[in-house]
Amino acid sequence: MKEITLTIDGQPVRVDGGASVLEAAKALGIEVPSICSHPDLPAYGACRMCVVEIEGVRGFPTACTTPAADGMVVRTESETLRRLRENTLELMMSGHPNACLVCDYRAVCEKHKPTPSKAGTSTRCGLCGNRSECDLREIVLATPGRNLGLPTIYSHKKVERDDPFIERDHNLCILCGLCWRICDKIHGQPAISIVRRGKEARIAASFDRSWVDSGCTFCGACVDICPTGTISDRFAKWHGHPDNKILSTCMLCPEGCSFYEMTENNQVVATRMTGFAAEDRLCALGRFAYPQLLQDRDRINRPLLRESGELIPVSQEEAVDALGAALDGFRDGSFLFLGNDTELRETKHLYRSLATDVLKGKYHFMAAGSGAADLPETIAEKIENGTIRAVLSAGDLLPAELRERLAFLGVIDAFPSALSASADVVLPASILAETTGTFRDAAGTVKGVGPALPAPAHARPEWHWVRDLAQRLGADDWRRYRYAPDVTRTIGDDPAPAPLRTRPRDSVKDALPARFRGHLLADRVPALRAFGLPFTPPEATATEKRGFLIRRKEEIAPNFHSFLVEAPEIARYARPGQFIMVMAAETSERVPFTLTDWDPENGTILFIIEETGRSSRELCALRAGERIAHVSGPLGAPLDLTGANTVALAGGCYGIGAIYPFAKALHKAGKRVFVVLEASSHFLIYFEDELREFCEAIYFTTRDGSMGRRGAVHDVLVELLQSDDKRPDAMAAIGCTLMMQMATEATRPWSDVPLHVALNPIMIDGTGMCGACRVSVGGETSFACVDGPFFDGHEVDWAELASRRGAFVQVEVEAMPQNGTLAAHACRH
Amino acid sequence: MIEVSLARPADRVHDVCRRYAPDRENLIPALQEVQETEGFLSPEAVDAVAGYFRLSPNNVYGVATFYAQFRYRPPGRHCLKICQGTACHVQGSGVLLDAAQRTLGIRSGETTVDGDFGLEELACLGSCALAPAVVLDGVVHARQTPKKLNTLLEKARS
Ligand code: SF4
Ligand code: SF4
Ligand code: SF4
Ligand code: FES
Ligand code: FES
Repeated sequence: MKEITLTIDGQPVRVDGGASVLEAAKALGIEVPSICSHPDLPAYGACRMCVVEIEGVRGFPTACTTPAADGMVVRTESETLRRLRENTLELMMSGHPNACLVCDYRAVCEKHKPTPSKAGTSTRCGLCGNRSECDLREIVLATPGRNLGLPTIYSHKKVERDDPFIERDHNLCILCGLCWRICDKIHGQPAISIVRRGKEARIAASFDRSWVDSGCTFCGACVDICPTGTISDRFAKWHGHPDNKILSTCMLCPEGCSFYEMTENNQVVATRMTGFAAEDRLCALGRFAYPQLLQDRDRINRPLLRESGELIPVSQEEAVDALGAALDGFRDGSFLFLGNDTELRETKHLYRSLATDVLKGKYHFMAAGSGAADLPETIAEKIENGTIRAVLSAGDLLPAELRERLAFLGVIDAFPSALSASADVVLPASILAETTGTFRDAAGTVKGVGPALPAPAHARPEWHWVRDLAQRLGADDWRRYRYAPDVTRTIGDDPAPAPLRTRPRDSVKDALPARFRGHLLADRVPALRAFGLPFTPPEATATEKRGFLIRRKEEIAPNFHSFLVEAPEIARYARPGQFIMVMAAETSERVPFTLTDWDPENGTILFIIEETGRSSRELCALRAGERIAHVSGPLGAPLDLTGANTVALAGGCYGIGAIYPFAKALHKAGKRVFVVLEASSHFLIYFEDELREFCEAIYFTTRDGSMGRRGAVHDVLVELLQSDDKRPDAMAAIGCTLMMQMATEATRPWSDVPLHVALNPIMIDGTGMCGACRVSVGGETSFACVDGPFFDGHEVDWAELASRRGAFVQVEVEAMPQNGTLAAHACRH
Repeated sequence: MIEVSLARPADRVHDVCRRYAPDRENLIPALQEVQETEGFLSPEAVDAVAGYFRLSPNNVYGVATFYAQFRYRPPGRHCLKICQGTACHVQGSGVLLDAAQRTLGIRSGETTVDGDFGLEELACLGSCALAPAVVLDGVVHARQTPKKLNTLLEKARS
């Protein structure tokens, strides 16, 4: 195409005719802010961030939609443009929770909480899984003198969590249209679109169908392209920005799609397409099930050997030795190796040689997606009539009734099964990303796999096991297979695996292979059940009416759920400041929650749960009428403030509910009460009317200034301390540790007035056993759960406390549930 | 004379569409006519229109929902229209709409599950002096408040 020359910000640049002004600027290294444009998509012109000035052109055209022309003179920076962009951003952000972006304490807060909290709804960056890679946030933070002056309008849209793998928080959507446009480009027809208009507008499938029924193939392109946290990958979202990516090949089916493995700490947290084109697309298995298979909690990770009837863990050498010794006795053609057709070429090659050259037996590779029931008749017969007496099976590939006919069974696998439980030897296998070598796809093309990532414990790539086994059986020259390429070199022209009859990348219905190594994929990755993949039905468990009845449950502010629960014993003995330990189900973690209210007459207690993290999500998924497995308490030392005459009570987040019993008790005792509330934005304030009833005055502070004063509780506390007529003689602050710490520092000049802080956020088991809540108070070691939760903030060693908390963050991320509303959680057992 | 069509909805919709060239600019007129003949846009109708125009149903639904004039459930026995014109808007018709949506448990363009009420938004009704105005089954009711509206709905129901 003809080249043209134009001038941008005084610099000449030559580009191909047809390039946009935005692309021309990029060629010069000039970054014009842009949100709705993408190199893989035609210009859309929706966000209006990329406005520029062009000599001779009226107004402010958008650079992405304006074709560059010969002789054009463009300016990308000016006072007017800056103002225009700021206005645009301001409007866009008024519909997007933005408190963290304008918060004066952002830097210290993000240092304090280096990873975002795993909230149900992202009501600000600090609770948004997209934080570490958010384009929108970057643009806002890069806008000098940003002034998001318009109040945030939070639209309270329900987070959609019912679909497998992908969840949507429409409150974050800026309607840039990138998601449905990339879907349209890749699939020819979009599975989603922008529906409705005005404040109702959002991304959805027609008639708000589940995406499972919308034609969506779960390729994940929209997740990857969305510049905000709206569309997210449930499994990966809290892992933050992956620290590495590996170009590799998916081996879950013979298509062998190329993809990137996105890793963090050497674990695959997600996979991604290598580009945004039709040929790059992945199927739901490759895009979403793959990482979950690798991180399966039930991996086989030790070699096992049957001794006096039981499988016991042994060393790698012992296992190889035992297996070799046993197979040595079946060199008469009675050995069969059963493997998988879609495997590393190196692995298949060595299995083949082992079976035929070393053991003079047979081998059979099972087609992708097949299981024990698909074993060919001819083989079944040979086992039946005793021609085959020993089998090494690389997966759950043999029916139980045939197993009984065998004299010997070895299993080499990644996941447990009834078959491996009945084996004589079990070897743990590295799979997929944990291996390296080459893969031949159904079309015959050879592709690279790996480099390998660490496998669990004692698992090893299968060809390593086979090599050692062959040596044990006397094939000394197999020693030369030290690295994968040593094997690759000897393969020659191996056959391509049989193609699938279906096309997993075109649909999630009736197209995905049901099994991997003979195991039902939907058993390992329950979310796949939504696509109709078969799974083993759970054994019916008797549902007893036990536990604590939830009388009422409401989401009183985004992420804040109030629970009214029947617990007469607790209601009878509770005192202000005490907490309870709650377990959603028998198998759940114990979590502490402060009591907000109790009614001994009705035998009920009220507490407020903020939905951040696994355990609270499990609880928040419960509904009124259901039961909580355990509620124990009241725990902790009560705090009696009625000795003081004037008390300031400060609450933030869950603490708003936690200061309520104090307000009530103090009011009843005829004391003066001042309530100070803190939230990042107005829509997160709750319980305002309830508290008003028991206090002389209530003050609001918000980080974005959208309600009351812009700032934090300590601003008001200091003012109260300085005033003549409202000076408190006791204070309490309940909220996140940062809030309590800041309140402590700000009120230090008045340390004669005690500031009671509640150290609940650092507790884990609440019994003093785990030691996680150890804290230095006044130079002495205490446990928050038994000695507290209340301490005088001025005596607490906050620095030590902060450094010890960091250690628990990663553990929490890994514990996140993957089943959306958790409905499927219970049935895994 | 009443014509009773025994054809399947998809075929009927297809017949309507055939009067238009399958170009995108004809999508809205075609949808309008489908709504006229079918009474509302059912998932089957949207699928059929999409098929004819070679678009994804998701596209078609996205385009249709941009306009307030389309409905996606069979019309209710009673039809409540709430004016959202400027004069009514200034007089709080937004609150009215919210209230109606809450009372009926539906959004505008929808019909209650029991089939009693359909709810629609109107651009200016031309009764600005009566703002905020609503139309229930063709009768204009002037200067509504959420409370008055509720009484009106109660009456209609009984
Ligand atoms: S999408 Fe970006 S700007 Fe919005 S809350 Fe998440 S991290 Fe912050
Ligand atoms: S979901 Fe994401 S990509 Fe789609 S319109 Fe909203 S912000 Fe843009
Ligand atoms: S996952 Fe893929 S097919 Fe599904 S909506 Fe997103 S881009 Fe479209
Ligand atoms: S990038 Fe140009 S209008 Fe959005
Ligand atoms: S919570 Fe673990 S010791 Fe206190």
